[in-house]
Amino acid sequence: MPDTDPAIRVERLHRTFGGGRRRRETVALDHIDLTIPAGEVHGLLGPNGAGKTTLCKILSTVLLPTGGTATVDGHDVVRETAAVRRSVGIVFGGERGLYTRLTARANLEFWAALYGLRGRGLSQRVDALLERFGLTDRAHERVEGFSRGMKQRLHLARGLVGDPRVVLLDEPTTGMDPVAAHDFRDLVRELRAEGRTVLLTTHDMAEAEAVCDRVSLVDGGRILATERPATLGTWISRYASVEARDVPPSTVDELRALPGVRAVHHVPPDRIRVETGAEDAAPAVLRLLVDAGVGDVSTALPSLADVYLHVIGDRGMRVNK
Amino acid sequence: MSALAGFRFQLRELPHRPDHLLALVTAPLMTLVFLAITRHAGRADLAGHAVLAPALIALWQMALLVAGELVAAERENGSLEALVATPSSFAAVIIGRVAAVTLVSLLGFVEAWLAAWAVFGVVVTVAHPVVFAATVLVSALAMAGTAGLMSAVFVLTRSARTFQNSLSYPFYVLGGVIVPVSLLPDWLAAPSRAVFLSWSSDLLRDAVDASTVEGVLPRLGAIAGLGFLGLCAGLLALRRAVDRLRRTGTLGHA
Ligand SMILES: Nc1ncnc2c1ncn2[C@@H]1O[C@H](COP(=O)(O)OP(=O)(O)OP(=O)(O)O)[C@@H](O)[C@H]1O
Ligand SMILES: [Mg+2]
Repeated sequence: MPDTDPAIRVERLHRTFGGGRRRRETVALDHIDLTIPAGEVHGLLGPNGAGKTTLCKILSTVLLPTGGTATVDGHDVVRETAAVRRSVGIVFGGERGLYTRLTARANLEFWAALYGLRGRGLSQRVDALLERFGLTDRAHERVEGFSRGMKQRLHLARGLVGDPRVVLLDEPTTGMDPVAAHDFRDLVRELRAEGRTVLLTTHDMAEAEAVCDRVSLVDGGRILATERPATLGTWISRYASVEARDVPPSTVDELRALPGVRAVHHVPPDRIRVETGAEDAAPAVLRLLVDAGVGDVSTALPSLADVYLHVIGDRGMRVNK
Repeated sequence: MSALAGFRFQLRELPHRPDHLLALVTAPLMTLVFLAITRHAGRADLAGHAVLAPALIALWQMALLVAGELVAAERENGSLEALVATPSSFAAVIIGRVAAVTLVSLLGFVEAWLAAWAVFGVVVTVAHPVVFAATVLVSALAMAGTAGLMSAVFVLTRSARTFQNSLSYPFYVLGGVIVPVSLLPDWLAAPSRAVFLSWSSDLLRDAVDASTVEGVLPRLGAIAGLGFLGLCAGLLALRRAVDRLRRTGTLGHA
C-alpha cells in the first residue's frame, strides 16, 4: 500500500443510536470528515457525549457506521476488517477489560497470541512490553491485586501488543495520577517517534496541547475545528482566570477597567474571580492585585467548557443527549 | 491458530475459577447418590449407569454454565470489544475456549469412577474400552460444538439464566442421561433422538456393560453429525451475534 495513504481517512461518517419505536434517535456522529496523515498524533477533544468513543469504535471495527466511510491505513473499516484489525491497536480507558484472575504476563500472552504471535516472538514481545510499562517486577502477580494505574499501564501494553501502525487511545489517562499522566505523555511521544499514528481522545486541554500535532474539537457528533496545539495554548492563556480574596472595592474597579478583562465576579463570601479574554490580561491582573497588596491570589486555567463557550461561541457546552 | 490460543487461555484460566468447576465438585457426590439408590434397590448390575450419569451431567453442566456463558462473560468483563478488534477469528477463539472447558469437564468421568471405587469399593469395568473411548471423544467434540451455539444464543438473548435453567434437567431426560431414552414415552423418545447426548449415553452404557455393541459406527456417526450441526450453527450464530452487536453498538455493554 502506498505510503501516501493517510493513516485515517473519515468521510461523511455518520452514526446514530436507537430511533426505534419508542426511543429517540441519538446522533453520535454527524457526517464528520477527518484526515489524519501517517505519523501524526491527533487529539479528539470534546465534552461527554461528543462522539469521541463512537469514532474510536468505528475505526477499530467494533462498531459499524450508519453511513459514510472510514479507512485505516487505506483499508475500509466495514469491508476490510481483517486488514484494519491488523493495523489498529486500541486502548479504552478505565479498568475493565482485563482478566483479573490471571497474571499480567498471562493476559499479555493471550492477546499476543490473538495478534498472531507464537513462541519466541511472542515471549520477546511480551517481555518488552512489560519492561516498557514498568510491570516486569509484577508480571507474575494476578491483575486483581493491581492498582488502578498499573491496570491502565497493562491496558496500554495490551493495546500495543500487535505492534499497531495506528493506535487509538480513548481517554487512557482517566484516573491516572499526575506522575503517571506525565509518563503517558512521554509514551505518546515515543509512539510518534516510532512512526505510529495516534488518535487520542481526552477532556484535558493541557494534555491535548502537550502531546498532539493537531487537535480536533468535537461536540454533538461534529468536528467544530481542527487546530494546532499552539492555538489551544493561546486559548488557554487567553481565557485564564484569576481568583483573589479581600480585594478592596477600588481595586475591583481598577480591575474592571483593565484591557482584556471580561468580567469580575464576586464569589461569596469574600472572593472575586477575574475572567480574562486576552493573552496578556492575566499577568496584568496579577500585577495589579499584588501592587494593591492583595495576598491571597491564584490563577486557574480555563476549563474545556470555558474554551468551548468562548471559542465556539453560542453553542457552548451542551451535553449531547 | 485462533482456536488454539483460545484453548490454551481457557486451560490457564480455569484453575483460577473455582466457581467454574462446580460441576466437578458435584459429580462425585452425585455418583454416590446414584450408586446408593441402585444398591439399595438390589440392582448392582446398574452400577455402570450410576457412574455414567453424573459424568454426563458434569459434561453437560459445564458446557451450559461455563462454556455457554463465555461470550456473555466477556461482555460483562469489558473485554469483548478488544477481542473482536483483534485479527483473530472471534468464533474460532470462542470454540477453542469452549473445547478446553469440555476437555476439563471430562474429569467428571474419572471422578465418578474413583468415587464409586473409593466409597463403595465398586469397580465398574468397561466391556468395550475402544468403543467407550471413541464415544467419549466424539461426544466431547459434539458438546463443544453445541456449547458454542449456546454461547452465541445466550449473548444474543441476554438471558443466559433462563436458558441455563430450562436447558439443564429437561436435557438430562431428553439426553437419556439418567434413564435410557428407550424407557421414555414414545412422544419423548422421538425428539430425544435429535439430542446428541441421548446417543452418547446409550452407546456409553452399552460400551460399559453390553455383551456386544451393535451399530457402533452409525451411532458414533449420529453423535458426530449432531455435534457437527451444533458446531456449524454455533459458528454461524457467533458470527451473527458479533455482527449484531457491532450494528447495535452493544458489544461494550455490561
Ligand atoms: N451503544 C449505544 N447506545 C445508545 N447510545 C449510545 C451508544 N453509544 C453511544 N451512544 C450515544 O452516542 C453519543 C456519543 O457517545 P460517545 O460515547 O461517543 O461520546 P464520548 O465523546 O466518548 O463521551 P465521553 O467523553 O463521555 O466518553 C452519546 O449521546 C451517547 O449517549
Ligand atoms: Mg468516551
